[in-house]
This record gives sequence, C-alpha cells and structure tokens, in this order.
Amino acid sequence: MLNKIKNVALVLLATAMLAACGGGAAEPNTQLVVLEWSGYEEPSYWEPFALQHPDIEPEYSFFGEDAEAYSKAQSGFAFDVVHPCGSWWGLYVEAGLVMPLDTSRLSNFDQLFPELTQHGVFNGQQYFIPWDWAYESITVRTDLVDEVPDSWADLWDPQYAGKVAIFDSGESTFLTAAYALGYDPYNTTPEQQEEIKQHLIALKPNLLTYWVDYTEINQLLASGDVAVGANTWNDAWATLNDEGYEVEYVNPTEGRISYACGFGISAKSTNVDLAYDYINALIDAQSNANMANDFYYGAANMDSVPLLDPNLVAVFQYDDPAILAQSNFQHPLTQEQREMMTTIWNEVKAQQ
Amino acid sequence: MENKRRLFALITPPSVFLLFFFLIPLVIMALYTMKSSTFGPLFPLSFEAFTTFFSNPAYFVLLLNSSQLALLTAVLSILLAYPVAYYLVFYTGSRRVILLTMLILPAWISYLLRVLAWKVILGSEGLLNQLLISAGLIENGAPILLFSQAAVLITLVYVWIPFAALPIFAAMERIDPRLHEAAADLGAPPSVTFWRVTFPLTMPGVASAFFFVFIPTLGEWVTPNLVGGVSGIMYGNLIQDQFGRALNWPLGALMSMVLLVLVGVFSYVFNRFIPITEVPVSS
Repeated sequence: MLNKIKNVALVLLATAMLAACGGGAAEPNTQLVVLEWSGYEEPSYWEPFALQHPDIEPEYSFFGEDAEAYSKAQSGFAFDVVHPCGSWWGLYVEAGLVMPLDTSRLSNFDQLFPELTQHGVFNGQQYFIPWDWAYESITVRTDLVDEVPDSWADLWDPQYAGKVAIFDSGESTFLTAAYALGYDPYNTTPEQQEEIKQHLIALKPNLLTYWVDYTEINQLLASGDVAVGANTWNDAWATLNDEGYEVEYVNPTEGRISYACGFGISAKSTNVDLAYDYINALIDAQSNANMANDFYYGAANMDSVPLLDPNLVAVFQYDDPAILAQSNFQHPLTQEQREMMTTIWNEVKAQQ
Repeated sequence: MENKRRLFALITPPSVFLLFFFLIPLVIMALYTMKSSTFGPLFPLSFEAFTTFFSNPAYFVLLLNSSQLALLTAVLSILLAYPVAYYLVFYTGSRRVILLTMLILPAWISYLLRVLAWKVILGSEGLLNQLLISAGLIENGAPILLFSQAAVLITLVYVWIPFAALPIFAAMERIDPRLHEAAADLGAPPSVTFWRVTFPLTMPGVASAFFFVFIPTLGEWVTPNLVGGVSGIMYGNLIQDQFGRALNWPLGALMSMVLLVLVGVFSYVFNRFIPITEVPVSS
C-alpha cells in the first residue's frame, strides 16, 4: 500500500517537474511566436509575410496590458516577436530580453518617421521598430458641458465635478498632473513628486471613476455618465463621432500626450530570420495603413499617410510633419521611474 | 499497525496537496515581501515594501474602510437571509428544498454577470432610475447610483445572501421540533420561544454565515472594480494593482500578508466567542 503511494507520488512529482521544465525553445525556423495585443493578429496587417512564407502561420500569445506582457517575458515565456509600447521598451532592453536589430534587414525601415524610430534606440543601437502611434488626450461630450476644457489643468475645474473619468494608470496620471503643473515629468524632484501626488488627490472630487479599457470609457461617454474622458486615445473620439455623438478631441495648451508601440525580437529567439520578415511585413506601407485605419491610429510608415482615412488625417493632423514634435511624446521609463509613478498613483487611489 | 497505515494513506494525499499548493506558495509569497524588485534575485534582502507600506497611513485607512464594508455586508446579508431561512424551515413543509434551490439558483450564474446586472440596474439611465421616474418619484436627470460605496454594498449583499442563508438553514433544520412543543407546553409565547430556544440554537449557523461572507468580501476587488468608482475602491483593488499594472509584487505580497494576518486575528477573536467546531457544515 505504502509503496504504491510512494510510486504514485513519485510519478506525480516527476510529471510536475516535467511540466515545469516544458515550454522550452521552439524548433528553429519553423514557427513564429508573437506576443501581441489581442486584435492585432489580423492577416491584412502582415500580408507580405504570408506571401513570402505561405507555410508558416504565426502563433499568437495575447496580452491585455503592457505589464502583463512584460511579466510574461520576464518569467521565461518563449516568444520571437513582442509588441510593447514605447514607455516599456527601456525595461526590455535593461533586462536583456530583446536583441539589438540590424535595420538593413528591414527593407521598409527607411520609410518610417525618424521621430518615432529614434525612441527605439538604446546605447546607440536600434532595439524596437515603431508601428502604431496615437495620442492620449481629452475626449469631451460637448453637449454635456458648458465649456470645453482647453488644457490639462482644466480637468481640475470644479465645473466638471463628478463628470470626469481618467485612465487608471500611474504613468498617465503622473504625466497629466505634471503637465498641468508645468513640470517636466521625466525630471522631477521629490518635492515636485509630492506636489503631483497632492494635485492628483485634489482631482478626486471631479472624478466619477477610473477607466481601465477603451470599451469602458467609450460606454461611459456614450451613456453621458462621463462628460470628460481624460487620457483617452484616438479611438474614443472616432468611435463616438461615428455613432453620432457631439464630441471634441481636445488639443490641450500643454500639448497632447503621444506614444508609439512597436516590435522587438527576443534575445533568445531561434527564428530570427522569420522575425525580421514578419516585422518588415508589418511596417509595409499598406499593412501599416490597414492597421491604422482599423484602430484610428497613426502609422509609423510615412508612405502610409496617403492611404489613411482622410477624415482621420484631418482630425488628428497625421499629415503635419511637425505634429509629432508638437505633442509630448512618452519616453521609455526606467524601473525606478515606473515604480515611483505607480506608487504615487496607488497612494492617491488609497486615499479616502 | 494496520490502522496507522490506513490513517497514513488517508492523510498523505491531502497533506502533499496542501504542502505544494498552499504552504510552499505561502512561503514564496512571504519571501517576495523582502525582495528588492519583482523580477530580481531574493538576496540581498530589502525592506522597501515594508517602508512604503508602513509609512503611508492611507493603506491602513483603506484597510479599515474595507473591513467596515465587509462587516456591514456580512451583517446585512445575515439580517436579510435569516427570516428567509426561518420561513423556509418552519413554514413551507416539504416544499422547502425546492424553495431553497430557487433561492440559490441565481448563484449558478457567473459571479461577473450578477455584478454586471447591477450596472444595468443602478446606471443613470438604469432600470431603477427609469422606475422612479415613471412612478413620478424623481424628475429627469436622476442621480447616478453607480460608482459609490453604496453601490458596492448593495451588490455584495445581493451576491452573498444565498451563501448566508445556507448555513442558517442547515442550523435551523437540525433543531428538534419537540423543543418547540416543550416550550409551548410550558406556556412560552412564540416570541419567547424564538429568543430563548430557536435563536441560540441557530447561532453556530449565523457564525458560519458571517465567515462565509466576511472573509471573501474583505479581499474583494471585482465588485468595487465594476461598480465602485473612485469612492468605492477596496483594499483588494490595490493588491490587484500591485501584481498587475504596477508590477510591484513585493508590495502586493506584503499587502496580501497583512490581510491574511488581519483575517487570522478576526477569526481568532470570533472563535473565542463561538467555537468553529460547533458550526454545522452546510448541505
């Protein structure tokens, strides 16, 4: 009896250990594992790759937010290509999770906006290739407010009491409060950080709720429970506008916040050639435009601009060569900066 | 000898299970509180999470608020469930099992859906406001009832009533009907019978119901996330944030440990008054 149990226990233990060691390296050059936001697996975004490698179907592992992707990559998940947003790129490089890229292997690279590609350079080497970029600004239901806010600082105006929802993100709220106070968010003293924290606490009477994903804020704006959607992306304005609501996408006097997301190749990838081909297909002018039109985003490829929906180009000034320089582009954060911002935000939320 | 072997065979599988899936994870969690970063090595030990947590009173205030909310949820759930259980056991005869099943039926639907339903009811254009407007009780431009501590409380009480009713129901069912007859024979009016016979005998069920509701509610984060807004946030939301967006697992682990200790203290204090061993297992 006892021996039997011992055997069963041993088998169980062995199975558990096998499972723990599993999920190892993929077979070289036969498959491509992409760590991707859900919704971006659409074949029209990488058609040239499908033509080039008809026998290979990219395998997707989806994530819902950057923190999730980063912790997955950190915990040893085997991927070839990853698609984080710019403020996370530095962490991937710092942790040695991605490899420096040879941009000469990407025939479409020269068509990309240099203002965007420069953010993917670390220690003089290109680590990330930008693909999609967008704004974070204020979407307003103009029919529900007396005055449309024209600055980030206006979010604190008591006339919006209980009508504002802000993005539930330490980074975004820190940037917003810093710009409203006139500080450079990437160079703050401890005193300024404390002031930013108190300023965010002072915003609470104006807040109805924090929004987490875009469907949530779009619904809150559509129902009219929220009149001022803070740190909303281009899609909030575009979706509500399509549905016939009276909305304005504010261009705050301190400047919109903007950000780009893009692709890096895992330092442990065994499918590097495929990964290059896949990224090159994504940044192809037509593929890039297909994605941008679906999500109302900007495209990193300059040649994509003429292929974009002209209404969106007009509203978001995608054809203005200076537009990127005019907005406050999100910098890659160090681990310390990210922790500082999220700790402040958590303390703001905890305050009752 | 044979008995010992049998005992050993019986307790080994659950012990091994608990060791691997409860004790070891708990120790890992405790070690995480002393890490300097989420993904870095354990050594050198760091007490940064402790400094952050204990130097900011906001965390304690929130924990206190969440405890109050959990307490209120448990008490209200019991107050509402008690008469229902009483009615089922003593007045519905053979139909009581069917009626009890009907009471529990909503709990078969996904928890998330039941919480989301309250979004539909409490929204500014929600069912409740529509009803009040059509009844002429309020004007248009009704206040939004969502995104408040009250909304969290209402939703939680709704979710937990069936779970509070079950142990109370079980405790009442075990009461010997002859005790009631004896009380009546001795001339006690129904109210005295209730307070001196029925009520004390159902206390273990009430205690069990209290734990069923209070402990999970204390760590709750889904409901406040969906209907709580800015003012209805709970301690569990901040723990979830530390493991998610903030990627600060050491602080998240510490906050979870503090909650665990708090629940332990509550259980101990409560157990002093009503020994948990006397609590009947719900059917």
